[in-house]
Amino acid sequence: MPKDNKEKAKAQKAAAAVKTGVKKRKSHKIRTKVHFHRPHTLRLPRRPKYPRKSFPKKPALDQFKVIRFPLTTESAMKKIEDHNTLVFLCDVRASKPQIRDAVKKMYNIVADKVNTLVRPDGQKKAYVRLTKDYDALDVASKIGII
Amino acid sequence: MARVKAYEIRGKTKAELEKQLVDLKTELSQLRVAQVTGGAASKLAKIKEVRKSIARVLTVITQNQRQSVKEAYRGKKYKPLDLRPKKTRAIRRRLTRHEASKITLKEQKKRQHFPMRKYAIKV
Repeated sequence: MPKDNKEKAKAQKAAAAVKTGVKKRKSHKIRTKVHFHRPHTLRLPRRPKYPRKSFPKKPALDQFKVIRFPLTTESAMKKIEDHNTLVFLCDVRASKPQIRDAVKKMYNIVADKVNTLVRPDGQKKAYVRLTKDYDALDVASKIGII
Repeated sequence: MARVKAYEIRGKTKAELEKQLVDLKTELSQLRVAQVTGGAASKLAKIKEVRKSIARVLTVITQNQRQSVKEAYRGKKYKPLDLRPKKTRAIRRRLTRHEASKITLKEQKKRQHFPMRKYAIKV
C-alpha cells in the first residue's frame, strides 16, 4: 500500500533527524589576528542615467593659445643669430612640453630645449633652442620676424 | 580671407568648420607677428575682423553640437543638466503646475456642486 510506505518513510526520516539533531551547529571562523577589519563589500562602478554635461568642452590650451607671438627685441635678435634660439611670448599656463609641441605644430621645428621665465608684467617668455638641423635665422625669416 | 558670415557657414559640416577654424587661427597668429614687427595698418585692422570671425565659427560649431544633442535627448526622461531649463534655482525647485493644481476628491466635489455664483442686480 503506497500510503503505508509514505508514512513509513516519514517515520524513518524523523528517526534519522532525531539521531543527527535537526539544527546544525554553526562552525565559528577561527581568527588568528587580533584586529578586525571591515570585510570587503560589493563596490559597483558608476552607471549614470545621463551625462551631466551634454558634450565635453574643447581643451583650453591649443597650440594657437600656447604661443602668442615671437619677440623681436634686440636681445631676442641676438639670441636668434648667436644661439640658434627663438624667443616667444607664451600663455602663462603653458608648460615647457606644451611649448615644445606647439612650436613643432606651428612652425615644423624641433626644439632642443625650452627655457621659460615669467616676466614682471605677468607674461611667459620662452627661449626655444632649436636642434642643429634647423637654422633659427631661416625659421625667423619664414615666420616674418626678421 | 573675407569676413566670415554666419549664415554662409551654417550649412557646413563639422570637419569643414574645424578646418576653417584652424585656417582663421593661423591667419590670426601671422597677424599677431605683424603686429609685433610693426606691420601695415591694413594688417593691424584685420586682426579684429579675424577674431570676430573665429568667434562666429565657434558659435556655429557649438550651436550645431547642442542642436544635435538636444535632438538625441528629446522626449527622454533624464537629460543632461545643461539641456534642462535654466530659469532660476528657486523656480526649478518649485512645484510644477500640475503638482500645484492637485486637489482632493472631496474638494473637487465641493467645487463642482457649490461653485461661486454670479448675481446680477436689477435696478
